[in-house]
Amino acid sequence: MPDIAFFGFAAVTVLGAILALESRDLVYGAVSLGVSFLGVASLFFLLDAAYIGVFQIAVYIGAVVILILFTVMLVGPAKGEGPTEFRRTALFIGILVAMMLGVGGALASPSAFSTNQPCTPECDLAQFSQSLLVTYSVQLAVLSLVFAAAVIGALTLAKSERGTA
Amino acid sequence: MEPLASFFGLSATLLAIGIYGLATKRSAIRILFSVELIYNAANLNIVAFARLRNPPLVTGQVLVIFSIALAAMEAAVGLAIILLAFRLNSDIDLRKMTRLKG
Repeated sequence: MPDIAFFGFAAVTVLGAILALESRDLVYGAVSLGVSFLGVASLFFLLDAAYIGVFQIAVYIGAVVILILFTVMLVGPAKGEGPTEFRRTALFIGILVAMMLGVGGALASPSAFSTNQPCTPECDLAQFSQSLLVTYSVQLAVLSLVFAAAVIGALTLAKSERGTA
Repeated sequence: MEPLASFFGLSATLLAIGIYGLATKRSAIRILFSVELIYNAANLNIVAFARLRNPPLVTGQVLVIFSIALAAMEAAVGLAIILLAFRLNSDIDLRKMTRLKG
């Protein structure tokens, strides 16, 4: 039953996202963010992109959420972060969100994009790996270089200098 | 399978939640959460559009692999900046970091 699966995963994703922003404790927020990422990964599986789903779980839940949890333990919550202030910005954001949801709902009308065909051999893993490792191999190498640069930069930023700190 | 439009609606919802968090939250870590949610919305959109084409296009999935890797790098650098800001200000409230204001 893909319908039930889709609605279940969508509900998990949206509820996790809302809880990540609204939960009182930052640790619970990080865990809810992980649940939301897991929902998105399941949606990738529904879209016949199994490798993307596995990659999402490995990178987001395995790396990003753990990194965020460590940072939360080191840093702690912002001082005096109280309940959300309902001011002009909140009203403006509410209107903006409503407009975006309206656009989403209009797109989601059953007539739009209803033609989808079963996954042909064109979208299987062999084709995908061919595309990733042959057609885009140079880009993959550049990506790894960028990754190395980002990690070195992050280490340099976070390194505690004994003299000043 | 579910009509692909549902995925676009869900992606728009995630984007809206992310923008809400960006505009109303004060903690730097929550702002980072919002950015990650917006990344996820974009990735979901790209995969759904790649699936829409006939025959389905694998280039979209390759693009999403790159996008996820870049999001991980962005999170690492962002968290390092948050740590540094905490060490300098002993607080991560973004609304109070006004040292650069003229």
